[in-house]
Amino acid sequence: MKCENDKEQITLWINNEMTEAERNAFEIHLAECAECRQELKAEQRIWNLMNEVAAPQASADMPVRFQAMLEDYKESQQPRSNPVSGFIEKLRQLWTLQPGMQMAYTIVLVIIGLGFGYLINRQSPNSGYANKQEITALNKEVHEMKEMMMLSLLENPSASERIRGVSYTSEIKSANKEVIDALLYTLDNDQNVNVRLVTLEALTQYADDAHVREGLVQSIGKQDSPLLQSAMADMMLKLQEKRSVQSFKKLLQQKDLDNSIRGKIEQTITKLI
Amino acid sequence: MNPLSDNSIMLKVKNGDLDKLGLLFERYHRPLFGFLFHMTGQRELSEDMVQNVFYRVLKYRHTFRGDGEFKTWMYHMARNVVNDNGRTLKRSIRQQELTEYNTDNVGGGFAADESIHKKQELATLRNAMAKLSEESREVLILSKFQELKYNEIAEIMDITEGAVKVRVHRAIGQLKNMYLQIAN
Repeated sequence: MKCENDKEQITLWINNEMTEAERNAFEIHLAECAECRQELKAEQRIWNLMNEVAAPQASADMPVRFQAMLEDYKESQQPRSNPVSGFIEKLRQLWTLQPGMQMAYTIVLVIIGLGFGYLINRQSPNSGYANKQEITALNKEVHEMKEMMMLSLLENPSASERIRGVSYTSEIKSANKEVIDALLYTLDNDQNVNVRLVTLEALTQYADDAHVREGLVQSIGKQDSPLLQSAMADMMLKLQEKRSVQSFKKLLQQKDLDNSIRGKIEQTITKLI
Repeated sequence: MNPLSDNSIMLKVKNGDLDKLGLLFERYHRPLFGFLFHMTGQRELSEDMVQNVFYRVLKYRHTFRGDGEFKTWMYHMARNVVNDNGRTLKRSIRQQELTEYNTDNVGGGFAADESIHKKQELATLRNAMAKLSEESREVLILSKFQELKYNEIAEIMDITEGAVKVRVHRAIGQLKNMYLQIAN
């Protein structure tokens, strides 16, 4: 008779892995099934025989070795038991080390820089002199160019161009007579008030020049615009130019002089005298 | 929880009381040695492995959550130790196993006055066990020698309980056949 029962149950029975109900059911089947009984017997024999296959006794020194291992481990954990402070300590070391290194780098770089600078400078005296000469020559040329530009601009029909020309004089440090004459001429004769005002201002920077002062004083009488007259009065007061009193007095005699300007000029005269 | 249970002791170890691990070593180093010896067949190696397993228990103590049994967690580590050694060992195991099993180191019920028949039977069985596949041998060792229940074995081996049933049954079948084959 072929047994339909699952043979796995035999192992479960031997290993006591069955529930109460399963075991009861299986044992009923076992009582009827010779095949299963035989199978169980064979398996159980092996299973029981395995009981006698024993491992050798472990060495008695195993606990000792374990203790040694445990102590080692605890010791290796010791520095890590304080990981935060250790880390901070390391950081601090880095911190104190780093500025030193940075300082060293800085010093080295500065020395290198100085060395280069020295080398470059040492080469220059010979060529430097020539350079200097060249630069002076160029400067002079530029200066002359500007003067020329200025002079030609002063003759430009556009008032704004002429103002531009006048303003160039602020870049000309030592104006020559030609430039000053041109400016004085503009001051006296330009028909645009604004140009004349700018010119007056430009001439102020050369006021130390006797020629310029004289020209300014003489120009007082030629100004018919109240703006210019007022500006002249301010300027003379600033320069403390006593010679201008004469010109101002002449100006006062003009019938068509603006009343407010008249007052101002009178004030200026009293202050200058 | 019982303060002397495996789990509560292991949780103390986890929380820094490393000395408490000594108690667990006392409880488990012998069965663990048995498992490792049956797996590798080499006595000295197995002793080293026991130390290794407990070293791992220390090292990975933070991974012990206490929701499973300490025992299964420990065997899990033991299997990893065996597997780590396994690749280099495999070839030497069978030879070793035979020689070591047959030496006088074998204790328990293997006295000199036992019948020659019994000796032969045991020798045959050891031989048969040595010829089993690693997988079959492992489930037999765990269920027979370590007396673990199927659900524990399932947890240790990361398989289902059903799979353990199948494997144990198959392993006994293989062992029986192997035994008969050698005996005859």
